[in-house]
Amino acid sequence: MEKRVILLVEDEALIRLATTALLEDAGYSVIEAGNADVAIRILESRSDIGAVFTDIIMPGSVDGLRLSHAIRDRWPPVHLLVTSGLSVPIENFPRKARFLRKPYTPVQVLKALSDLFGFDPEPYQYRNNVTQNYGRVAYR
Amino acid sequence: MAPQTTPDAVGLNLALALVTSSAAPLLLLDSDLNIIAASGSFCSAFQINIAQTKGLPLADMGAGEWKVAQLASLLKATAAGYAAIDGYEMDLVREGRPVRRLVLNAQKLQYAEGAEIRIALSVSDVTDARIAAKLKDDLLRDKEVLLQELHHRVANSLQIIASVLLQSARKVQSEEIRTHLHDAHHRVMSVAALQQQLAVSKLGNVELRPYFKALCASIGASMIRDHNQISLDVTSDDSVTTADTSVSLGLIVTELVINALKHAFPGDRSGRILVDYRSRGPNWTLSVGDDGMGMPEDPRSAKAGLGTSIVQALAMQLGGQITVADANPGTKVSVVHTYVPILAGQSAAGSAV
Repeated sequence: MEKRVILLVEDEALIRLATTALLEDAGYSVIEAGNADVAIRILESRSDIGAVFTDIIMPGSVDGLRLSHAIRDRWPPVHLLVTSGLSVPIENFPRKARFLRKPYTPVQVLKALSDLFGFDPEPYQYRNNVTQNYGRVAYR
Repeated sequence: MAPQTTPDAVGLNLALALVTSSAAPLLLLDSDLNIIAASGSFCSAFQINIAQTKGLPLADMGAGEWKVAQLASLLKATAAGYAAIDGYEMDLVREGRPVRRLVLNAQKLQYAEGAEIRIALSVSDVTDARIAAKLKDDLLRDKEVLLQELHHRVANSLQIIASVLLQSARKVQSEEIRTHLHDAHHRVMSVAALQQQLAVSKLGNVELRPYFKALCASIGASMIRDHNQISLDVTSDDSVTTADTSVSLGLIVTELVINALKHAFPGDRSGRILVDYRSRGPNWTLSVGDDGMGMPEDPRSAKAGLGTSIVQALAMQLGGQITVADANPGTKVSVVHTYVPILAGQSAAGSAV
Protein backbone atom coordinates (compact mmCIF):
# COMPACT_ATOMS: atom_id res chain seq x y z
CA MET A 1 0.00 0.00 0.00
CA GLU A 2 1.25 3.49 -0.74
CA LYS A 3 2.33 5.52 2.21
CA ARG A 4 -0.18 7.99 3.53
CA VAL A 5 1.07 11.56 3.19
CA ILE A 6 0.94 14.00 6.10
CA LEU A 7 1.46 17.73 5.70
CA LEU A 8 3.11 18.96 8.90
CA VAL A 9 2.67 22.70 9.57
CA GLU A 10 4.80 23.86 12.50
CA ASP A 11 7.08 26.89 12.89
CA GLU A 12 9.38 25.55 15.66
CA ALA A 13 12.18 23.75 13.80
CA LEU A 14 13.07 21.28 16.55
CA ILE A 15 9.47 20.21 17.07
CA ARG A 16 9.06 19.85 13.32
CA LEU A 17 12.20 17.72 13.12
CA ALA A 18 11.19 15.31 15.87
CA THR A 19 7.58 15.07 14.76
CA THR A 20 8.61 14.37 11.16
CA ALA A 21 10.90 11.62 12.44
CA LEU A 22 8.23 10.01 14.56
CA LEU A 23 5.70 10.09 11.72
CA GLU A 24 8.17 8.63 9.25
CA ASP A 25 9.11 5.91 11.73
CA ALA A 26 5.44 5.04 11.92
CA GLY A 27 5.28 4.62 8.15
CA TYR A 28 3.90 7.94 6.99
CA SER A 29 5.41 10.15 4.32
CA VAL A 30 5.84 13.71 5.62
CA ILE A 31 5.84 17.08 3.84
CA GLU A 32 6.92 20.00 6.04
CA ALA A 33 5.71 23.59 6.07
CA GLY A 34 6.82 26.39 8.39
CA ASN A 35 3.64 28.44 8.18
CA ALA A 36 0.11 28.46 6.78
CA ASP A 37 0.96 30.31 3.56
CA VAL A 38 3.48 27.65 2.58
CA ALA A 39 0.98 24.97 3.59
CA ILE A 40 -1.66 26.37 1.26
CA ARG A 41 0.81 26.52 -1.62
CA ILE A 42 1.74 22.89 -1.02
CA LEU A 43 -1.90 21.81 -0.95
CA GLU A 44 -2.49 23.68 -4.20
CA SER A 45 0.43 21.99 -5.88
CA ARG A 46 -0.30 18.33 -5.06
CA SER A 47 -3.32 16.15 -4.53
CA ASP A 48 -1.99 13.31 -2.39
CA ILE A 49 -2.07 14.91 1.05
CA GLY A 50 -4.06 12.63 3.34
CA ALA A 51 -3.95 14.70 6.50
CA VAL A 52 -2.73 18.07 7.75
CA PHE A 53 -1.19 18.28 11.23
CA THR A 54 -0.94 21.95 12.10
CA ASP A 55 0.05 24.17 14.99
CA ILE A 56 -2.24 27.13 15.65
CA ILE A 57 0.08 30.00 16.52
CA MET A 58 2.52 30.58 13.69
CA PRO A 59 4.08 33.56 11.94
CA GLY A 60 2.39 34.79 8.83
CA SER A 61 -0.99 36.17 7.98
CA VAL A 62 -3.05 33.08 8.72
CA ASP A 63 -3.07 31.10 11.96
CA GLY A 64 -3.52 27.35 12.11
CA LEU A 65 -7.18 27.55 13.05
CA ARG A 66 -8.04 29.68 10.03
CA LEU A 67 -5.88 27.39 7.95
CA SER A 68 -7.86 24.37 9.11
CA HIS A 69 -11.14 26.08 8.17
CA ALA A 70 -9.73 26.99 4.77
CA ILE A 71 -8.64 23.39 4.21
CA ARG A 72 -12.04 22.02 5.23
CA ASP A 73 -13.61 24.39 2.67
CA ARG A 74 -11.30 23.77 -0.26
CA TRP A 75 -10.11 20.19 0.28
CA PRO A 76 -12.89 18.44 2.23
CA PRO A 77 -11.45 14.91 2.26
CA VAL A 78 -8.20 15.96 3.94
CA HIS A 79 -8.08 14.96 7.62
CA LEU A 80 -7.33 17.68 10.15
CA LEU A 81 -5.27 17.43 13.33
CA VAL A 82 -4.68 20.71 15.14
CA THR A 83 -2.33 21.33 18.05
CA SER A 84 -1.57 24.19 20.42
CA GLY A 85 -0.11 25.00 23.80
CA LEU A 86 -3.45 26.56 24.71
CA SER A 87 -6.85 24.98 24.93
CA VAL A 88 -9.20 26.10 22.23
CA PRO A 89 -12.99 26.10 22.58
CA ILE A 90 -14.41 23.23 20.58
CA GLU A 91 -16.81 25.42 18.60
CA ASN A 92 -13.84 27.13 16.94
CA PHE A 93 -12.91 23.99 15.03
CA PRO A 94 -14.11 22.83 11.64
CA ARG A 95 -16.11 19.62 11.49
CA LYS A 96 -14.30 16.39 12.30
CA ALA A 97 -11.04 18.10 13.16
CA ARG A 98 -9.13 16.65 16.11
CA PHE A 99 -7.24 18.69 18.69
CA LEU A 100 -4.07 17.78 20.59
CA ARG A 101 -2.67 19.85 23.47
CA LYS A 102 1.03 20.59 23.42
CA PRO A 103 3.31 19.08 24.44
CA TYR A 104 2.02 15.90 22.87
CA THR A 105 3.56 12.46 23.11
CA PRO A 106 4.32 10.32 20.06
CA VAL A 107 1.63 7.88 21.12
CA GLN A 108 -0.99 10.63 21.18
CA VAL A 109 -0.12 11.82 17.68
CA LEU A 110 -0.11 8.34 16.19
CA LYS A 111 -3.38 7.41 17.88
CA ALA A 112 -5.08 10.62 16.68
CA LEU A 113 -3.90 10.05 13.12
CA SER A 114 -4.91 6.42 13.03
CA ASP A 115 -8.34 7.43 14.40
CA LEU A 116 -8.70 10.04 11.67
CA PHE A 117 -7.63 7.65 8.93
CA GLY A 118 -9.85 4.98 10.41
CA PHE A 119 -7.42 2.15 10.97
CA ASP A 120 -6.02 0.39 14.01
CA PRO A 121 -2.50 1.53 14.79
CA GLU A 122 0.28 -0.92 14.03
CA PRO A 123 1.16 -2.91 17.13
CA TYR A 124 4.36 -1.74 18.72
CA GLN A 125 7.35 -3.92 19.31
CA TYR A 126 7.69 -4.93 22.91
CA ARG A 127 9.98 -6.44 25.38
CA ASN A 128 8.51 -7.90 28.62
CA ASN A 129 5.14 -6.32 27.91
CA VAL A 130 6.72 -3.00 28.67
CA THR A 131 7.27 -1.06 25.48
CA GLN A 132 10.69 0.36 25.00
CA ASN A 133 9.89 1.68 21.56
CA TYR A 134 7.65 4.16 19.87
CA GLY A 135 6.28 3.47 16.44
CA ARG A 136 6.70 0.50 14.22
CA VAL A 137 10.42 0.39 13.75
CA ALA A 138 12.51 -1.13 16.52
CA TYR A 139 15.31 1.13 17.56
CA ARG A 140 18.56 -0.43 16.53
CA MET B 1 -37.25 94.49 52.87
CA ALA B 2 -38.69 93.07 56.08
CA PRO B 3 -36.86 90.01 57.42
CA GLN B 4 -38.64 86.87 56.42
CA THR B 5 -39.32 85.13 59.69
CA THR B 6 -42.72 83.61 59.10
CA PRO B 7 -42.72 79.80 59.39
CA ASP B 8 -43.34 79.47 55.66
CA ALA B 9 -40.50 81.80 54.84
CA VAL B 10 -38.14 80.03 57.21
CA GLY B 11 -39.13 76.65 55.78
CA LEU B 12 -38.57 77.85 52.23
CA ASN B 13 -35.23 79.43 53.06
CA LEU B 14 -34.11 76.21 54.74
CA ALA B 15 -35.04 74.20 51.67
CA LEU B 16 -33.25 76.61 49.36
CA ALA B 17 -30.21 76.61 51.61
CA LEU B 18 -30.19 72.82 51.55
CA VAL B 19 -30.22 72.80 47.78
CA THR B 20 -27.60 75.51 47.45
CA SER B 21 -25.23 73.83 49.88
CA SER B 22 -25.61 70.30 48.53
CA ALA B 23 -22.27 68.64 47.96
CA ALA B 24 -23.70 66.67 45.05
CA PRO B 25 -24.74 68.79 42.04
CA LEU B 26 -28.44 69.47 42.56
CA LEU B 27 -31.16 71.53 40.87
CA LEU B 28 -34.60 72.37 42.15
CA LEU B 29 -37.04 72.80 39.24
CA ASP B 30 -40.67 73.79 38.87
CA SER B 31 -43.20 72.07 36.64
CA ASP B 32 -42.14 74.21 33.65
CA LEU B 33 -38.54 73.08 34.18
CA ASN B 34 -37.39 76.50 35.35
CA ILE B 35 -34.63 76.55 37.90
CA ILE B 36 -35.72 77.58 41.37
CA ALA B 37 -32.37 76.87 42.99
CA ALA B 38 -29.04 75.42 41.96
CA SER B 39 -26.34 74.03 44.23
CA GLY B 40 -22.94 75.70 44.30
CA SER B 41 -21.51 72.32 43.44
CA PHE B 42 -23.62 72.16 40.27
CA CYS B 43 -22.51 75.59 39.16
CA SER B 44 -18.83 74.96 39.70
CA ALA B 45 -18.98 71.49 38.18
CA PHE B 46 -20.66 72.73 35.00
CA GLN B 47 -19.37 76.30 34.80
CA ILE B 48 -22.71 77.98 35.35
CA ASN B 49 -23.03 81.44 36.87
CA ILE B 50 -25.07 80.86 40.04
CA ALA B 51 -26.33 84.42 40.06
CA GLN B 52 -28.05 83.89 36.74
CA THR B 53 -29.79 80.60 37.53
CA LYS B 54 -32.86 81.75 39.44
CA GLY B 55 -35.93 81.53 37.27
CA LEU B 56 -33.90 80.43 34.27
CA PRO B 57 -35.34 77.64 32.11
CA LEU B 58 -33.16 74.54 32.27
CA ALA B 59 -32.89 74.56 28.49
CA ASP B 60 -31.41 78.07 28.52
CA MET B 61 -28.68 77.29 31.00
CA GLY B 62 -25.08 77.72 29.84
CA ALA B 63 -24.91 77.81 26.05
CA GLY B 64 -27.92 75.55 25.61
CA GLU B 65 -26.08 72.29 26.34
CA TRP B 66 -28.87 71.33 28.79
CA LYS B 67 -31.48 71.65 26.08
CA VAL B 68 -31.85 67.93 25.50
CA ALA B 69 -35.21 66.78 24.18
CA GLN B 70 -35.19 63.43 25.89
CA LEU B 71 -34.22 64.96 29.23
CA ALA B 72 -36.99 67.53 28.93
CA SER B 73 -39.63 64.91 28.19
CA LEU B 74 -38.40 62.73 31.06
CA LEU B 75 -38.57 65.71 33.43
CA LYS B 76 -42.06 66.56 32.21
CA ALA B 77 -43.15 63.02 32.88
CA THR B 78 -41.60 63.26 36.34
CA ALA B 79 -43.43 66.50 37.00
CA ALA B 80 -46.70 64.89 35.95
CA GLY B 81 -46.09 62.11 38.39
CA TYR B 82 -45.77 59.33 35.81
CA ALA B 83 -42.20 58.43 36.54
CA ALA B 84 -38.94 59.28 38.23
CA ILE B 85 -35.61 59.56 36.46
CA ASP B 86 -33.37 56.80 37.71
CA GLY B 87 -29.83 56.69 36.36
CA TYR B 88 -30.49 58.40 33.03
CA GLU B 89 -27.21 58.78 31.19
CA MET B 90 -26.38 61.54 28.76
CA ASP B 91 -23.40 63.28 27.28
CA LEU B 92 -22.94 66.95 28.08
CA VAL B 93 -21.63 68.50 24.89
CA ARG B 94 -20.15 71.97 25.09
CA GLU B 95 -18.09 73.81 22.54
CA GLY B 96 -14.41 73.96 23.37
CA ARG B 97 -14.74 71.50 26.24
CA PRO B 98 -14.38 67.72 26.40
CA VAL B 99 -17.60 65.77 26.50
CA ARG B 100 -18.66 64.72 30.01
CA ARG B 101 -20.69 61.61 30.74
CA LEU B 102 -23.51 62.35 33.19
CA VAL B 103 -25.86 60.21 35.24
CA LEU B 104 -29.08 61.99 36.23
CA ASN B 105 -31.67 61.23 38.90
CA ALA B 106 -34.84 63.20 39.37
CA GLN B 107 -38.02 62.88 41.35
CA LYS B 108 -41.10 64.90 42.07
CA LEU B 109 -40.90 66.09 45.66
CA GLN B 110 -43.78 65.16 47.94
CA TYR B 111 -43.82 67.89 50.52
CA ALA B 112 -47.21 69.51 50.98
CA GLU B 113 -50.74 68.76 49.81
CA GLY B 114 -51.79 70.90 46.85
CA ALA B 115 -48.47 72.71 46.79
CA GLU B 116 -46.50 73.74 43.73
CA ILE B 117 -44.83 70.97 41.85
CA ARG B 118 -41.14 70.75 42.59
CA ILE B 119 -38.57 68.42 41.01
CA ALA B 120 -35.20 67.61 42.52
CA LEU B 121 -32.66 66.82 39.80
CA SER B 122 -29.26 65.50 40.86
CA VAL B 123 -26.40 65.14 38.40
CA SER B 124 -23.29 62.94 38.70
CA ASP B 125 -20.34 63.42 36.41
CA VAL B 126 -19.07 59.87 35.87
CA THR B 127 -16.64 60.64 33.05
CA ASP B 128 -13.49 59.96 35.05
CA ALA B 129 -14.92 56.88 36.76
CA ARG B 130 -15.88 55.44 33.37
CA ILE B 131 -12.43 56.05 31.94
CA ALA B 132 -10.84 54.35 34.94
CA ALA B 133 -13.19 51.38 34.63
CA LYS B 134 -12.41 50.99 30.94
CA LEU B 135 -8.70 51.25 31.61
CA LYS B 136 -9.00 48.53 34.25
CA ASP B 137 -10.90 46.30 31.81
CA ASP B 138 -8.28 46.88 29.13
CA LEU B 139 -5.47 46.07 31.55
CA LEU B 140 -7.21 42.89 32.72
CA ARG B 141 -7.70 41.82 29.14
CA ASP B 142 -4.05 42.55 28.33
CA LYS B 143 -3.01 40.53 31.36
CA GLU B 144 -5.15 37.61 30.18
CA VAL B 145 -3.58 37.77 26.75
CA LEU B 146 -0.08 37.87 28.18
CA LEU B 147 -0.84 34.94 30.44
CA GLN B 148 -2.16 32.93 27.51
CA GLU B 149 0.95 33.78 25.54
CA LEU B 150 3.10 32.67 28.43
CA HIS B 151 1.31 29.33 28.70
CA HIS B 152 1.72 28.85 24.99
CA ARG B 153 5.40 29.68 25.14
CA VAL B 154 6.01 27.26 28.02
CA ALA B 155 4.12 24.46 26.27
CA ASN B 156 6.14 25.03 23.13
CA SER B 157 9.41 25.06 25.06
CA LEU B 158 8.57 21.80 26.78
CA GLN B 159 7.64 20.29 23.43
CA ILE B 160 11.00 21.35 22.03
CA ILE B 161 12.87 19.74 24.90
CA ALA B 162 10.81 16.56 24.59
CA SER B 163 11.46 16.53 20.84
CA VAL B 164 15.19 16.88 21.31
CA LEU B 165 15.24 13.94 23.73
CA LEU B 166 13.27 11.72 21.38
CA GLN B 167 15.45 12.65 18.45
CA SER B 168 18.54 11.76 20.48
CA ALA B 169 16.96 8.45 21.43
CA ARG B 170 16.45 7.65 17.76
CA LYS B 171 20.08 8.26 16.96
CA VAL B 172 21.87 6.30 19.69
CA GLN B 173 22.86 2.68 19.24
CA SER B 174 23.05 1.77 22.91
CA GLU B 175 19.90 0.27 24.40
CA GLU B 176 20.84 1.56 27.86
CA ILE B 177 21.30 5.13 26.68
CA ARG B 178 18.09 4.99 24.72
CA THR B 179 16.28 3.88 27.88
CA HIS B 180 17.76 6.80 29.79
CA LEU B 181 16.61 9.21 27.08
CA HIS B 182 13.10 7.79 27.10
CA ASP B 183 13.02 8.10 30.89
CA ALA B 184 14.16 11.70 30.56
CA HIS B 185 11.36 12.22 28.06
CA HIS B 186 8.85 10.92 30.63
CA ARG B 187 10.19 13.28 33.25
CA VAL B 188 9.80 16.24 30.90
CA MET B 189 6.26 15.15 30.10
CA SER B 190 5.52 15.00 33.83
CA VAL B 191 6.41 18.69 34.08
CA ALA B 192 4.37 19.31 30.95
CA ALA B 193 1.30 17.62 32.45
CA LEU B 194 1.60 19.99 35.39
CA GLN B 195 1.77 22.96 33.03
CA GLN B 196 -1.47 21.89 31.45
CA GLN B 197 -3.17 21.63 34.84
CA LEU B 198 -1.91 25.10 35.75
CA ALA B 199 -3.14 26.55 32.49
CA VAL B 200 -6.70 25.60 33.37
CA SER B 201 -6.62 26.30 37.10
CA LYS B 202 -7.55 29.83 38.08
CA LEU B 203 -5.47 30.33 41.17
CA GLY B 204 -2.23 28.53 40.37
CA ASN B 205 -3.14 25.60 42.59
CA VAL B 206 -3.23 22.07 41.29
CA GLU B 207 -5.79 19.36 41.93
CA LEU B 208 -3.62 16.32 42.46
CA ARG B 209 -6.01 13.57 41.40
CA PRO B 210 -6.58 14.78 37.81
CA TYR B 211 -2.90 15.67 37.55
CA PHE B 212 -1.76 12.19 38.62
CA LYS B 213 -4.37 10.59 36.36
CA ALA B 214 -3.11 12.58 33.36
CA LEU B 215 0.45 11.70 34.25
CA CYS B 216 -0.26 7.98 34.56
CA ALA B 217 -2.30 7.97 31.37
CA SER B 218 0.67 9.43 29.53
CA ILE B 219 3.21 7.00 31.00
CA GLY B 220 0.87 4.04 30.56
CA ALA B 221 0.09 4.90 26.95
CA SER B 222 3.70 4.73 25.94
CA MET B 223 4.96 1.98 28.22
CA ILE B 224 2.10 -0.51 28.64
CA ARG B 225 1.10 -2.63 25.68
CA ASP B 226 -1.82 -4.52 27.17
CA HIS B 227 -3.80 -2.54 29.72
CA ASN B 228 -5.70 -5.68 30.70
CA GLN B 229 -2.44 -7.22 31.73
CA ILE B 230 -0.88 -4.33 33.59
CA SER B 231 -3.15 -1.68 35.03
CA LEU B 232 -2.07 1.67 36.39
CA ASP B 233 -4.58 3.36 38.67
CA VAL B 234 -4.81 6.48 40.78
CA THR B 235 -6.67 6.56 44.08
CA SER B 236 -5.98 10.02 45.45
CA ASP B 237 -8.24 12.19 47.54
CA ASP B 238 -9.38 15.71 46.69
CA SER B 239 -6.17 17.38 47.80
CA VAL B 240 -5.10 20.58 46.14
CA THR B 241 -1.52 21.84 46.42
CA THR B 242 0.72 24.56 45.07
CA ALA B 243 2.43 24.29 41.71
CA ASP B 244 5.84 23.82 43.29
CA THR B 245 4.73 20.91 45.44
CA SER B 246 2.85 19.34 42.54
CA VAL B 247 5.89 19.41 40.28
CA SER B 248 7.93 17.52 42.86
CA LEU B 249 5.15 15.03 43.63
CA GLY B 250 4.61 14.47 39.90
CA LEU B 251 8.28 13.77 39.31
CA ILE B 252 8.33 11.30 42.22
CA VAL B 253 5.26 9.54 40.84
CA THR B 254 6.89 9.37 37.38
CA GLU B 255 10.02 7.78 38.81
CA LEU B 256 8.25 5.22 40.98
CA VAL B 257 5.76 4.23 38.28
CA ILE B 258 8.46 3.78 35.63
CA ASN B 259 10.45 1.76 38.13
CA ALA B 260 7.53 -0.52 38.86
CA LEU B 261 6.83 -0.95 35.16
CA LYS B 262 10.41 -1.93 34.50
CA HIS B 263 11.00 -4.30 37.40
CA ALA B 264 7.80 -5.56 38.96
CA PHE B 265 6.36 -7.57 36.09
CA PRO B 266 9.00 -9.54 34.21
CA GLY B 267 7.98 -11.78 31.33
CA ASP B 268 4.25 -12.02 31.01
CA ARG B 269 3.44 -11.42 34.61
CA SER B 270 0.29 -9.37 35.05
CA GLY B 271 -0.53 -7.00 37.85
CA ARG B 272 -1.56 -3.65 39.11
CA ILE B 273 0.21 -0.44 40.04
CA LEU B 274 -1.56 1.94 42.38
CA VAL B 275 -0.75 5.61 42.90
CA ASP B 276 -2.27 6.98 46.07
CA TYR B 277 -2.16 10.35 47.79
CA ARG B 278 -3.99 11.45 50.88
CA SER B 279 -3.62 14.41 53.15
CA ARG B 280 -4.97 15.52 56.47
CA GLY B 281 -4.17 19.06 57.51
CA PRO B 282 -0.47 19.55 56.86
CA ASN B 283 0.28 15.82 56.81
CA TRP B 284 0.30 13.84 53.60
CA THR B 285 1.36 10.47 52.24
CA LEU B 286 2.18 9.63 48.65
CA SER B 287 2.55 5.98 47.75
CA VAL B 288 3.15 3.92 44.65
CA GLY B 289 2.55 0.22 45.15
CA ASP B 290 2.56 -2.82 42.92
CA ASP B 291 1.57 -6.47 43.35
CA GLY B 292 4.46 -7.76 41.32
CA MET B 293 7.81 -9.33 41.89
CA GLY B 294 8.76 -7.70 45.14
CA MET B 295 12.16 -6.51 46.28
CA PRO B 296 15.28 -8.49 45.38
CA GLU B 297 16.61 -10.81 48.11
CA ASP B 298 19.82 -8.89 48.51
CA PRO B 299 19.12 -5.18 48.77
CA ARG B 300 22.66 -4.41 47.71
CA SER B 301 22.00 -5.96 44.34
CA ALA B 302 19.43 -3.28 43.59
CA LYS B 303 21.50 -0.54 42.03
CA ALA B 304 20.64 2.95 43.05
CA GLY B 305 20.01 4.62 39.73
CA LEU B 306 19.22 8.19 38.77
CA GLY B 307 15.59 7.56 39.59
CA THR B 308 16.41 6.77 43.19
CA SER B 309 18.48 9.94 43.56
CA ILE B 310 15.66 11.98 42.10
CA VAL B 311 13.12 10.49 44.50
CA GLN B 312 15.41 10.99 47.48
CA ALA B 313 16.24 14.59 46.56
CA LEU B 314 12.62 15.53 45.96
CA ALA B 315 11.38 13.75 49.08
CA MET B 316 13.89 15.69 51.14
CA GLN B 317 12.86 18.93 49.49
CA LEU B 318 9.24 18.19 50.37
CA GLY B 319 10.18 17.28 53.94
CA GLY B 320 9.09 13.69 53.50
CA GLN B 321 10.40 10.34 54.65
CA ILE B 322 10.76 7.47 52.17
CA THR B 323 9.69 4.04 53.28
CA VAL B 324 9.90 0.89 51.20
CA ALA B 325 7.68 -1.94 52.34
CA ASP B 326 7.14 -5.48 51.25
CA ALA B 327 3.54 -5.72 50.08
CA ASN B 328 3.37 -9.52 49.79
CA PRO B 329 3.10 -9.69 46.92
CA GLY B 330 4.88 -6.73 45.52
CA THR B 331 6.37 -3.54 46.83
CA LYS B 332 5.04 -0.28 48.15
CA VAL B 333 7.14 2.87 48.23
CA SER B 334 5.77 5.70 50.32
CA VAL B 335 6.77 9.28 50.93
CA VAL B 336 5.32 10.46 54.23
CA HIS B 337 5.21 14.06 55.36
CA THR B 338 4.34 14.63 58.97
CA TYR B 339 4.31 18.17 60.18
CA VAL B 340 5.88 18.69 63.57
CA PRO B 341 4.74 21.96 65.15
CA ILE B 342 7.49 24.20 66.39
CA LEU B 343 7.97 23.91 70.13
CA ALA B 344 10.70 25.64 72.06
CA GLY B 345 14.08 24.13 71.26
CA GLN B 346 12.78 21.80 68.54
CA SER B 347 13.16 22.09 64.78
CA ALA B 348 10.09 22.31 62.59
CA ALA B 349 8.79 20.40 59.57
CA GLY B 350 9.00 17.03 58.05
CA SER B 351 10.69 14.08 59.44
CA ALA B 352 8.77 12.44 62.23
CA VAL B 353 8.76 8.67 62.34
